[in-house]
Amino acid sequence: MVQTNADGSDFKERLIASVKKEVKQLMEEAVTKKYVHEESSSVTSLCGAVEACLSQGLRRRALGLFKTSSTTALLHKIAKSCPEAEHISKLVQEIEASDPSKRSSSSSDSFQRPPMLKKSSSNSMSAAASTSSASASISVSASNSSMSLAGMKYLWIRLALYEKRLTKIIEYLVSNASSFYDRDSLVADPDYGSILSSLLVGPCALEFTRAKTADHYWTDPHADELVQRHRISSCRRSSSTCSRPAIINFKRSLNTSSDEASSGSFKSIASASVAKDYVESLHQNAKATLLYGKNNVQVLPKDVLEPMPGYLSLHQHIQTLTIKWTPNQLMNGYAEEEAEDIDKDAFWAYALNINVDEIVYVHCHQSRGEDSGGTVILVGQDGVQRPPIHFPEGGHMQQFLSCLETGLLPHGQLDPPLWSQRGIGKMFLWPRSMRRRILPSVMESVDETPIDYVFRIVSKSRHEEFAATHSILDFVRSTPRRAQLSSCSTTGSSDCSNKSLSIDQFPLESPLLLQQQTQHQQQQALLQAQSTSIEMVCSTMRRQIISRAFYGWLAYCRHLSTVRTHLSGLVHGRITPEMKADEEGLTKERWQLLNVNGVLENATEFYRLVYFGGVQPELRQEVWPYLLGHYAFGSTREERQKQDETCKHYYETTMSEWLAVDAIVQQREKEKTARAVAKLSSGSNSGNERTVRAADLDAGGELENEVFEDISDISDPGDLEFDEQQQQQQQEGVSVSGMHLSVKPIPRAMKTSTDSGHVDEGENFNELDEDDLQGEEKEKEKQAQPKPEPEQEQERDETEEEEEQKLEDQLNPEPSCSTSTASSYETVGPSAANQTRSVLSPEYLSADDLQLPEDEVAVKPQPPPQPQPQAAAVIITKASVDITNWERSPKAGGQGQMSPVEEQAINLDALQQPKSTCASPASSNGGVYSSELLEQFGLNLHRIEKDVQRCDRNYWYFANENLDKLRNVISTYVWEHLDVGYMQGMCDLVAPLLVIFDDESLSYSCFCKLMERMIENFPSGGAMDMHFANMRSLIQILDSEMYDLMDSNGDYTHFYFCYRWFLLDFKRELVYDDVFATWEVIWAAKHIASGHFVLFLALALLETYRDIILSNSMDFTDVIKFFNEMAERHNAQAVLQLARSLVLQLQMIIENK
Amino acid sequence: MASRKKSLLKVIILGDSSVGKTSLMNQYVNKRFSNQYKATIGADFCTKEVVVNDRVVTMQIWDTAGQERFQSLGVAFYRGADCCVLVYDVTAPNSFKNLDSWRDEFLIQASPRDPEHFPFVVLGNKVDLDNRQVSTRRAQQWCQSKNDIPYYETSAKEGINVEMAFQIIAKNALELEAEAEVINDFPDQITLGPQSNRPSNPDNCQC
Repeated sequence: MVQTNADGSDFKERLIASVKKEVKQLMEEAVTKKYVHEESSSVTSLCGAVEACLSQGLRRRALGLFKTSSTTALLHKIAKSCPEAEHISKLVQEIEASDPSKRSSSSSDSFQRPPMLKKSSSNSMSAAASTSSASASISVSASNSSMSLAGMKYLWIRLALYEKRLTKIIEYLVSNASSFYDRDSLVADPDYGSILSSLLVGPCALEFTRAKTADHYWTDPHADELVQRHRISSCRRSSSTCSRPAIINFKRSLNTSSDEASSGSFKSIASASVAKDYVESLHQNAKATLLYGKNNVQVLPKDVLEPMPGYLSLHQHIQTLTIKWTPNQLMNGYAEEEAEDIDKDAFWAYALNINVDEIVYVHCHQSRGEDSGGTVILVGQDGVQRPPIHFPEGGHMQQFLSCLETGLLPHGQLDPPLWSQRGIGKMFLWPRSMRRRILPSVMESVDETPIDYVFRIVSKSRHEEFAATHSILDFVRSTPRRAQLSSCSTTGSSDCSNKSLSIDQFPLESPLLLQQQTQHQQQQALLQAQSTSIEMVCSTMRRQIISRAFYGWLAYCRHLSTVRTHLSGLVHGRITPEMKADEEGLTKERWQLLNVNGVLENATEFYRLVYFGGVQPELRQEVWPYLLGHYAFGSTREERQKQDETCKHYYETTMSEWLAVDAIVQQREKEKTARAVAKLSSGSNSGNERTVRAADLDAGGELENEVFEDISDISDPGDLEFDEQQQQQQQEGVSVSGMHLSVKPIPRAMKTSTDSGHVDEGENFNELDEDDLQGEEKEKEKQAQPKPEPEQEQERDETEEEEEQKLEDQLNPEPSCSTSTASSYETVGPSAANQTRSVLSPEYLSADDLQLPEDEVAVKPQPPPQPQPQAAAVIITKASVDITNWERSPKAGGQGQMSPVEEQAINLDALQQPKSTCASPASSNGGVYSSELLEQFGLNLHRIEKDVQRCDRNYWYFANENLDKLRNVISTYVWEHLDVGYMQGMCDLVAPLLVIFDDESLSYSCFCKLMERMIENFPSGGAMDMHFANMRSLIQILDSEMYDLMDSNGDYTHFYFCYRWFLLDFKRELVYDDVFATWEVIWAAKHIASGHFVLFLALALLETYRDIILSNSMDFTDVIKFFNEMAERHNAQAVLQLARSLVLQLQMIIENK
Repeated sequence: MASRKKSLLKVIILGDSSVGKTSLMNQYVNKRFSNQYKATIGADFCTKEVVVNDRVVTMQIWDTAGQERFQSLGVAFYRGADCCVLVYDVTAPNSFKNLDSWRDEFLIQASPRDPEHFPFVVLGNKVDLDNRQVSTRRAQQWCQSKNDIPYYETSAKEGINVEMAFQIIAKNALELEAEAEVINDFPDQITLGPQSNRPSNPDNCQC
């Protein structure tokens, strides 16, 4: 170390100061974030600072023959006497052995020794190496985590820090400094040494994590931030086309005709990617620490007359230091409008991104006398000047330089060092207290003249970088640099030793030989190495070019064959011309033109307009039935009206059927609830004998978790009776509600009341008894009542009212809940009344009149007949139907089996009676439902209820009783498709239809049409897997880069992030207005461009964010998270447009094949 | 290398529809309850940082669709799960009844290494409601019969027990991992002294 005493102590102080700074930063991070990530940049910088301290004044001889300044060697050396060091040393070796290719740079020496050297070392040494590698291969489980560690810098310091043993090791070093360090070294210094070890006590107490967390703003940013970052980088393009590059790029490779158009933008892609990197890198991230940042730094780029203000920043990466400057115009990117689009392109060209490695000289200029800031000019190895950077006044240049110097530490520095620069007192307004002392004696010489300074950037131990990089290209890149460095180093023997040591890392030369070479020989060797490597590079490049060309051709062939075999079915062969510029989709005027006298004839034109331009919102109600295929093209107004009536009639009839079942189900539910509550309360009151028995049952093999079965099984005789009554009552309920439409809401109200109040067992019994009695009454009433025919309308209404009254009366025995009953009843009441009215509306009556003889039979088969799920599930509503059905199924036997009572096998005869009365041919009306049917539909109703309640309740339309309409439509559909049943997601599909039509029966009909396609997406169908497979092929064809990413993350294959998109036709991804717009385009697309338009929509959505996905190399879970967070925030029109263009692209590819 | 463990815990929440899976997850992660949740379609997840046994781990909590029809989707999401949370609604006996099938289905689809000891946690949600229908005793008995699954009664709405339950979930998931590690681990490494006899040859030094 050739340094003056003053320099030496100053250097030590700086070293300690940097450790202090890093410790402080790390502790702050720990406090603010509650934890520190192992790979946090502050850990890295602390380790760097510690390494610098430890390597200062390290006695090389103490470490052995060919030791470099590596502190790792020191660690290994002290391992035998210091237990902490031994532990860490073991860890280091394990990691290195498990991953020999990615050796930590600072410990490279221990394994990169040539064979000769190894031989010269003792036997135990080589034995140790082999055993350690063996042990590493054994501990496979550990290797995963250590893999990444091995690539890290300062490995042993890191490990010691994680293991909380760093302090101990350093204490040991300090106390034994005499044997390893020079006398004037930092560690041997009585003050600094102990300061260093005590500084590290804090960090050693910290807990480090490797976890990825939400707080890790740079590793796991929220979707919002990702989008925003992206917007900054892509601001020169309008956001709607931000995914264009890939597509244009792709087109270019296929259609030579569009070459000239795309070549321009292709160039911009390159700049765009640079731009993106820029923005990414301006944020502090895992790889780089932000050392310095200053805005309004002026730079005078080439071809520009006036200096431009911008943001200057200095980033420290693991290996390199980067200076970046970004014009202000780009920094506040997304806030600006598109007017400046053209300019922005130019601005990107101005932005600077300078790797400090490439810089040799730093020229500083400042005008004398006043503090007018200063100008820094960086000169590269090639002698080329970078654009001057002009700092505003206020000592910013000095700050920048000192940050730069800090960044260069520990392995590089400014030459001459900043603080010993002549005239520094004038130039740099350092705080006196700190700087005065340091100023060298040179100071006193004349300090008037120099205002301009030149610093040389010197890198001390480049071999580290060298060992870390393996590719030939890197090798060549860094070689001239090293040559230059060593040739220009003329002073200082320690410098010299450094350089020669750096050379001994050349893979082509034996270090032993090098040891004896003179400087001249070294240079020759260097040149030789250089020329050989250049040759190698050339041949590698040649090979690569040829193989790329070949693979390109191969990929193209495969690509086309994939298109032909898989994708040609996805789009229509015929390309429909796009809209003219002045067309705006289906406007009112257009609609009037098309819809001559209420007859819509020109289907193609109609679809074309909708596909390209959408439908004007007011028209949707009218237009959607056509789009969904409900109305036929060419139908007259009268025909449609009639169709509507028929639909309405059908809908109402169906609804009346399931409402009857609903009533029964509700009642059952109510009873169940009452029983469970009773059971619960009695169970908690009376002894625990029962529950113990229940437990025995559970444990004794019968692990089926049947709550109620268990209860009834073990209940006492009283409970059995209770059961019977209920059974009986259910039977009655069936027959009663078979014909009354308005029964439904009442049990619901009752249920609510029971839910809200606690009913104890005794009361419940009473109530049920009463129920029973009344049920029988009703039964009689009903039997007396003939078939519901128009003239009986009033009578029916009356009975209904009576019934309502009775049911209300029934509720009275529960005083605790009477109020709640009343209120909930109020809310349901109006809709119930409406239903009654609408069912008995004039149209209905007229329809009835027309088909009077066998109205039910005639109406039923009219819509696509849905096979009833079970043969046993016979629905009997009218006597006339009874007969037709009974012809198919053996009457008496069938009924016996159908009875839900038989299942219970308790007191059959007691129950037989009411059942037989209700099913007897004498009774004109009545329904018998198999218990499976009841069970099944009840379960469905229950689910529907739960989902309807949660469906879009924050959307204005569903803020009120419209939710009931939703429920009705879905229940009707499910009733008609009981084999399919209700599936989650149906609500979301009905809701937009209902919002547009505001009419239950029309919504129902259109929903049926919609479901023809959608049903296949649900788990029972197979369309989802097909969609995923198609998506895969499409991405492969249209965005190979994305495909590569997905391919590399194997779990992408399932595309589950698209699941909701396809299942609900993007309903959850977009806001309501956009859903409308998207749906109509999907429907129209089927006739215009593609029956699988959803695929292209999905692809468009993916492409819209492709850059974000790619740049963050998101995996399966990241993508799911991203899109879930982005739900309802997409720009639907842009996505639609992109989807249409994707369709067109595929059509073109297929056409051109 | 004992301290190097996996620190991402994958937790799957299962249970009938509308028992409060999404609410539980959001209450735990965001400390929020909303009555605006819709039926979950597909799957979603949240992550949360927790400290268990002095270790910081990230929990990745997967919220799934409640309808059993959609279970076929599960296999993609269940893979690699560290813990499975079974949720039922104390006011809905059927949701309790279905715990069996949820558990079985999970074990089939996720096919964990050691199904017998795979950590489950059962949560009886919505205890804030009055109309409770499944007794604590009953739930506990079921849990005992299934290899002593820990059982908690929670309310996502009121935030009752949610934090604690998830803490247990994380703990159990980690224990599973620790056990797995014991199985995998080999005897202690041999102590080495690689540098001990390195020859020092100062004469060859260049400077």
